[in-house]
Amino acid sequence: MSEDIVKIKGIKQGLLLIFASDSKFDEIEENIQKKLSLGFFTRGTPVYIHPEDLPKDDAETLKKIFAKYGLICKIENPENEIREIKQEEPQREEVSFAKPEVKVEGEKVEEMMVVNKTLRGGQEIRTKASVLVCGNVNPGAQIIAGGSIDIRGKCLGVVHAGAFGNQDAVIIADRLLPTQIRIANLVARAPDEGDETEKPERASIKDGQIVIEPIER
Amino acid sequence: MRAEIIVITSGKGGVGKTTTTANIGVGLAMNDKKVALIDTDTGLRNLDLLLGLENRIMYDLVDVTEGRVPYKKALVKHKKFEKLFLLPTSQVKDKSSVNPEALMKLCDEMREEFDYILIDCPAGIEQGFQTAIAGADTAIVVTMPEISAVRDADKIIGELGRADKENIKLIVNRIRPQMVEQGDMLDMDDINDILSITCIGQVPDDEKVVTSTNRGEPVVGNEDSLAGRAYMNVVRRILGEDVPFMDLRKDSFFRRIKRAFGMN
Repeated sequence: MSEDIVKIKGIKQGLLLIFASDSKFDEIEENIQKKLSLGFFTRGTPVYIHPEDLPKDDAETLKKIFAKYGLICKIENPENEIREIKQEEPQREEVSFAKPEVKVEGEKVEEMMVVNKTLRGGQEIRTKASVLVCGNVNPGAQIIAGGSIDIRGKCLGVVHAGAFGNQDAVIIADRLLPTQIRIANLVARAPDEGDETEKPERASIKDGQIVIEPIER
Repeated sequence: MRAEIIVITSGKGGVGKTTTTANIGVGLAMNDKKVALIDTDTGLRNLDLLLGLENRIMYDLVDVTEGRVPYKKALVKHKKFEKLFLLPTSQVKDKSSVNPEALMKLCDEMREEFDYILIDCPAGIEQGFQTAIAGADTAIVVTMPEISAVRDADKIIGELGRADKENIKLIVNRIRPQMVEQGDMLDMDDINDILSITCIGQVPDDEKVVTSTNRGEPVVGNEDSLAGRAYMNVVRRILGEDVPFMDLRKDSFFRRIKRAFGMN
């Protein structure tokens, strides 16, 4: 039965892949490719692979496949993460959004928060992590992030990246027309008579100034 | 019967929530539906005036939720439409007199008796709003082509989402086609851009709305009035019909000539 080669289990942090013990890697790869092409997975859902289940190289290959479809694949035991998340939780204001992910790289903790909806006026996201919004950020909405901000949609609200001093943080949006844009300790505001572009743009700090430039994606 | 409970809300005041409630209510009754209108704007009640029923009120919403009378006693039957009933609210009490649980219980009780229950929501996002939306299946957000009204509508949609109300419809009221055409007023594309929810009504600004309000006879169904026709279209969309939106632009001399030459 091809269905049983890869089992998908819903866990608190996302999805956990479980492989049949006698399956070959080719079969696993094919099975996952098929599921992905059918749109089985929701974009932005973290997918976990237990490090003991697969050889490291194979797991890395899968990770790349998932990345192609906009999914984040992690080769680690999700059990380890529960504690990490619990420690961070009290600092979060918005609890209605997707659970943040935690990536451990040595001692540095990097996180990403995924928001799968449009942020409307009056709604606010405040996090130490980076933020990915799949939707618009409407006027009156606010994002304050310790890391970078990526908006797959229109950005019309107030966005603040690197809010805790990270000068390398960037802000990307399909249409970058915010009321106010802040990175670290710098502020820029939309020109009163703006020339609008249809292209995605990125804002970052260059030579002590906020610079906005078009990008391809 | 199992009524659909619809709350009509806006956030901003003065965009025409109560007028819309009255017109949809009357429109549904004209289509032979049994309708109850509940005014939850306690302390500032208006809905009875628009329906011309002020002098028939005996009991109000607060009497019902506090258990002094059964709701049937407080219902006021419309003078013209047999199947239209109003549950007015109190003029003397304030919003804290009715809590969300009490209104939900009342709605559940009334559900079996009606086809539609429309709840007229007060302006703002405070307790009155929370109470009004508590029992609703569907929310209709009323807005105007004005940035402040659209901004407030956006906020309200967010609040409705937070309260797990996912079935949200939009009515854009008081459109002035001439101003839209000159680019002095937001058009539907601008509004949809921000709000991105299903629109079930585009109602033009119409003097007849004011005159009919003063008489206590909602304008809906009045074929001489553009707003009356627009409101009737809203009603038909609520009833599940697929009605195209009217062209609100004035039939100018220039356009008539264009049409004569087959250019439009």
